[in-house]
Amino acid sequence: MKPVVHIVDDDESYRTATARLLSAYGVKVEAYESGDQFLACLPSCEPGCVLLDLQMPGQSGLQIQRRLCELAPLLPIVFLTGEGDIKAGVDAMKAGAQDFLEKPSSVAVLMETVERALAQYERRRAEHERLQELRTLMASLSAREAEVFGLIIRGQLNKQIAYALGISERTVKVHRHQVMEKLGAKSFAEVVSIAADIGLDRGRSALSE
Amino acid sequence: MGWGCSCSARFQGAAVLAIAVLAVVCGCYAVASETSHALLDRPPRVLILYPYDERIAVTTAAGEALRSRLLEATDGKIDLFSEFLDLSRFPEADHVTSMGRYLAEKYAARRPDVVVALGKESASFISMNRGRIAPGARIVAAGFGNSTAENIDLPDDVIGAFTTFDILKTAEMARKLQPNARYLFIIGGSSDFDRGWLATARADLDEFSKSYETTYLEDLTIEEFVERASHVPSDSIILALTVFKDRAGRNFIPREAIKLIAATASAPVYGPYQTYIDDGIVGGNTVTFDTLGRTVGNLVVDVIAGRPVSDIQAPQTNIVDSRQLRRWGLAEGNLPPGTVQMHKEKSLWEEHWLAVTVALGVVLMQAGVIAALLLERRRRQDAESMSRLHLLEAVHLNQSATAGALSSSIAHELNQPLSAIRNNAEAASQLLRSGNPDLELIQQILLDIQEDDQRAGDIIGRMRGLLKKRREIDWQEFDLNDITSSAIHIIHGEAERRGITLNTNQPTTELPVRADKVHVQQVVLNLATNAMDAMMDADCARRILTFVTGIAKERAELCVVDTGNGISEERLSSIFEPFYTTKKAGTGLGLSIARAIVETYGGTISAHNRPEGGAIFRVVLPLVRREERGS
Repeated sequence: MKPVVHIVDDDESYRTATARLLSAYGVKVEAYESGDQFLACLPSCEPGCVLLDLQMPGQSGLQIQRRLCELAPLLPIVFLTGEGDIKAGVDAMKAGAQDFLEKPSSVAVLMETVERALAQYERRRAEHERLQELRTLMASLSAREAEVFGLIIRGQLNKQIAYALGISERTVKVHRHQVMEKLGAKSFAEVVSIAADIGLDRGRSALSE
Repeated sequence: MGWGCSCSARFQGAAVLAIAVLAVVCGCYAVASETSHALLDRPPRVLILYPYDERIAVTTAAGEALRSRLLEATDGKIDLFSEFLDLSRFPEADHVTSMGRYLAEKYAARRPDVVVALGKESASFISMNRGRIAPGARIVAAGFGNSTAENIDLPDDVIGAFTTFDILKTAEMARKLQPNARYLFIIGGSSDFDRGWLATARADLDEFSKSYETTYLEDLTIEEFVERASHVPSDSIILALTVFKDRAGRNFIPREAIKLIAATASAPVYGPYQTYIDDGIVGGNTVTFDTLGRTVGNLVVDVIAGRPVSDIQAPQTNIVDSRQLRRWGLAEGNLPPGTVQMHKEKSLWEEHWLAVTVALGVVLMQAGVIAALLLERRRRQDAESMSRLHLLEAVHLNQSATAGALSSSIAHELNQPLSAIRNNAEAASQLLRSGNPDLELIQQILLDIQEDDQRAGDIIGRMRGLLKKRREIDWQEFDLNDITSSAIHIIHGEAERRGITLNTNQPTTELPVRADKVHVQQVVLNLATNAMDAMMDADCARRILTFVTGIAKERAELCVVDTGNGISEERLSSIFEPFYTTKKAGTGLGLSIARAIVETYGGTISAHNRPEGGAIFRVVLPLVRREERGS
């Protein structure tokens, strides 16, 4: 499935021209005349990236970005801007904008930016999928195994875990082995890394997930 | 008029300029001294005897002067009688005798107290007839020379007011008038009188003539006189005595002979008789009729009053003809003091000096006022054109400031079509590189490029008006609604950037006004940017800028309405003053310039607060009338 570049710009001629240009380079393009229209179409949208005009009547580019972060966090956003509005740029970057594209820009810069954004999307999507997988694996752990996992990643020894859970040290070893088996981790370090990836760290209890 | 003027030929020889020699027969001794008329209880009676008829102005002029002097001196309490003896036409002894008899009878009841005899004939007549006509009357004789009186041996008690004609004084006047003259010509006729005169002149001018190359023109015919006089050098003095008769024996009235000679003379002619004055001579020293009349009058008054009297000389006067002075270019300033100028045309100044002074003063004042007004007008025009120039300068500066303020949004706006053109062009070239280009799409792309190019051109066109500097007002007629829509075009980018909604009422009628379009647009942009600034400062939920156009009281009206905080009451009054500003970076000139512009086109501008918040700026301009538009 090919990623799609979504162009959101109130200026019809720019929107059309840019869409034509990207199409000519073999990129799939969808164009929207306003942020609202794009948001309305979002559920049925093909993923890819967004070229978002910063200055638009109605909801401005920054407002749309805020909404997109909630609704489609994986979509990289490239802002289109006619002039260097530093404040708007900083705000956009803080809110996670992928890039800026100045109008007008050469086709090389445009293509590079779009490709970078799409690559970013690919990475995000891959990462997202991996995390989903890990979360699935985590879900396959039994309650006791999850408890043990939570304590392992906090660096507790088997003896301490046994004491904390009121079970024998040997039983802890068995659970530990099961956790590594289920998560497909070959070492203790790998388990810790997985915990970090899915957002569990030593500060949080796996049980509270 | 003159002694002898218009006298008939009969008496010429005798008449004579009066003055000639007269033998007064006297015989009668006057006893006048015994009768002192001063003691009379009735008005004194004075008989004036004229030698000729009443048509002869010679004597009547002197007689009139005498009469008026007497009437004046006695305050009218005097009986004056005049008798015209007509002795020139009737010189016969019979006539003289009958005239004496007639007068004796006529005055039998009213014997004169004083008899004035004018001229030698009258003197002779009364000398002979005094016993019959006016016994006991005092006789006053006048109108002839001293020497004549001696010659004719007047009775001792006859009092004379003698007249002397002095050719030397005439010559001296001529010398004064012609200081550079080198030649002297003296003209005299061939009659006895003429020859006598020439002899007298030779004696009188003996000394005078030594300064000149002197020629006596005598023994000539009238033609020769005229001929000679017309060929004398121009630096000559010609003295004319009398010509009663020429060499050929022709008789003349001297006045007329001299007139002939003077008419073609090549140098100024002078003569010792007043009668010559009108006939082409410059002037001379003589006794005027008026002087003579007054002198005799004074004498008679003294006689009546019983005062002791004796013979006197009538004073002589230099008289000149101003026309002749001009003819010969003789300087008035060289005239001897007291010279009487005849026929002098009084200059306007002399005659009406007061009126002339006043008129001149008025004219000068008027000229001054006019000059001052012209100067003032010129200065006002200069000031007006300077002020217009300054206004234009200020407007231009303000335009530039507005353009600067809007530049980023305008750049943004311009960026859109330029970016679109670029992307379209790149897309087209990419399409063409592919194996099977979609020509229909490329065609569409090219059309879009043209459209965007047009769009960019329009934006620049609108900006050009804002940036163009003007030296003069470009008057044009336009619809005020156009200004609103063009202003909206210019600021919509800026408004969008600031999150301001632009509104306009849907104009229903045309609002034709006459002004410089760019200037009015400037006012609208000024008000619009002010309004946008006001709304940015304000903390309001909705930012709406509204343009409303319409007709109010038969004038075109444009309102710019914002939803800002409005204007505080104390600021409302001074908001249009120059250098009044509430903005940190403002010059304070925008609104004052806006007002100057609007007032230049006969309009008004005002500011109000809306009850619901925000401000309204109202611009009112005169509508162009239908009939004006037709023309």
